Amino acid sequence: MINKIFIYMLLSLIAFVMIFPFLWMIINSFNSEENIFRVPPSIIPDRLFKKDMFENYRAVLKDYNFARYGLNSFIIAGSAALGQVFTCSLAGFAFARMNFRFKGIIFALLLMTMMVPIQVTIIPEFYLMMKLGWIDTFAPLIIPSFLVGTFGTFMYKEFFENIPSDLEDAATIDGVSALSMFTRVFFPLAKPQTVTLFIIAFMNNWNDLLRPVIYISSKNLMPITLALTQFQGEYDAQWGYLLTGAVLSIIPLLVVYIALQKYVVEGITHTGVKG
Amino acid sequence: MKKQLKWYKSYHPWLFLIPTLIGLFVFRLWPISYSFYISFTTWDIMTPPKWIGFQNYKELLSDPTFYKILTNTFLFSLIYVVGVMVVGLFLAVLVNAKLKGRDFFRTTFFTPVVTSAVAVGLVWSWILAPKFGILNNFLSSVFHINPPIWLEDTRWALLTVAFIRVWKMAGYYMIIYLAGLQEIPGTLYEAANIDGATPWQRFKNITLPLLTPTTFFVFTIAIIDSFRNFAIIYTMTRGGPENATNTIVYSVFLNAFQFYRMGYAGALSYVLLLIVGVITLINFLLKKYWVQYQY
Repeated sequence: MINKIFIYMLLSLIAFVMIFPFLWMIINSFNSEENIFRVPPSIIPDRLFKKDMFENYRAVLKDYNFARYGLNSFIIAGSAALGQVFTCSLAGFAFARMNFRFKGIIFALLLMTMMVPIQVTIIPEFYLMMKLGWIDTFAPLIIPSFLVGTFGTFMYKEFFENIPSDLEDAATIDGVSALSMFTRVFFPLAKPQTVTLFIIAFMNNWNDLLRPVIYISSKNLMPITLALTQFQGEYDAQWGYLLTGAVLSIIPLLVVYIALQKYVVEGITHTGVKG
Repeated sequence: MKKQLKWYKSYHPWLFLIPTLIGLFVFRLWPISYSFYISFTTWDIMTPPKWIGFQNYKELLSDPTFYKILTNTFLFSLIYVVGVMVVGLFLAVLVNAKLKGRDFFRTTFFTPVVTSAVAVGLVWSWILAPKFGILNNFLSSVFHINPPIWLEDTRWALLTVAFIRVWKMAGYYMIIYLAGLQEIPGTLYEAANIDGATPWQRFKNITLPLLTPTTFFVFTIAIIDSFRNFAIIYTMTRGGPENATNTIVYSVFLNAFQFYRMGYAGALSYVLLLIVGVITLINFLLKKYWVQYQY
């Protein structure tokens, strides 16, 4: 009994440490700029349940254009995630159900290059984007992530490998083409994998900062992460707006995570156990 | 051997692999080799690169800032890897117990993982702000101590940023450890209970040894992950104060995209690749001495 109370106290303490920064972010988004700089800080925001409660949200979304930045993030993360589903499912299927030359080598190369930090590839990538005239467009934020997805390829490969070959044989007798073998027979079976990959790829791209920092300079093309860091530099002391922007930037992901938690956790444990 | 019915032609696999192969060659293999080449040049990306041999590497080795950055990189990775492994395992053991509400705690502990480093970096900067931040106000009023100024203090900044990254990612490693814990047969614990083993003995003699394959995997990804510190540093300190939080990863960005010294940045990135490569290699070589695969 004492043991149990102790464990719950410990768990609650850790939960508080994990959740407090988010609470603090939300609390401060309902503060006026005067109240936010109060010493000692006030726990209850001054605009809470007042008429101008959402004033910071209104200002950030409208005056500071965050509605646009959020939309940009949606477009970028959404297309990159769709692209990964496309690229990885096709490749995973080929690795799992077909034989071809250099299969082992190609797979090993995918594995090895996964370990290479992005800093090693980013300079030539930037040069390439410059030559293509794609600087300050969405293309460099979408295309590389569209075409490279080792995690997704592994996940699909493993899933497709474990499907009994009876299914393949039956479809062959029915005379399906190679393309419909994938689109009609195999791909529909991998719905959970597809959801998992889409969510994880969406999150990674939504949260990315390096590529937006180096590629995007036009204000109306900025994703929300980049907009926040720019905002931080330009309006140094406006913490109310900054934290409101931060709340807005995490809401979509939190909603997706809480609604589709099973898939997120599945994705991680999967890579975890199977490596 | 079962007769295989052939439903695809020999070109079909290649058709399916077109996007992956383009990605592999254009965004991985070519850039990796091209970076190696530019590390032997001086290049501002606008005019053609000029071959200068080992000049960049020589400059690196004679620059005191480079040693500072190297130390920071190792220190950051050390804190991160040890931190997420210890905290991750601790959290996993806690939420693996049969307790009411454990799903709530799992969800809560994982929340920082799904949020962006930028949002997390911003709010922590505000919490840690020397005068207006809630942490220092709390520390000075409750414990009556004179707290450090965290991100603005050269002695504290790196530690602080590294700890925040541990805070952010611990939940991720918790989930991986949790999967490992659930693979350990419950009968082993029952047997240990009959023999009168204490909780600590069970943890030390059953959990830890049987978890070594998971620990190996966690260690491998934690190392790679420990170098993904650009976003948090860019948001919180931009490498400052006085290079106190400047790491190789951040320095590559600075040299390439702020100073346009592509050759020098390329050399730095290859030092990074060498470090990652050597650590990973050692890790795999030592694997057979401590990872147990049989129950």
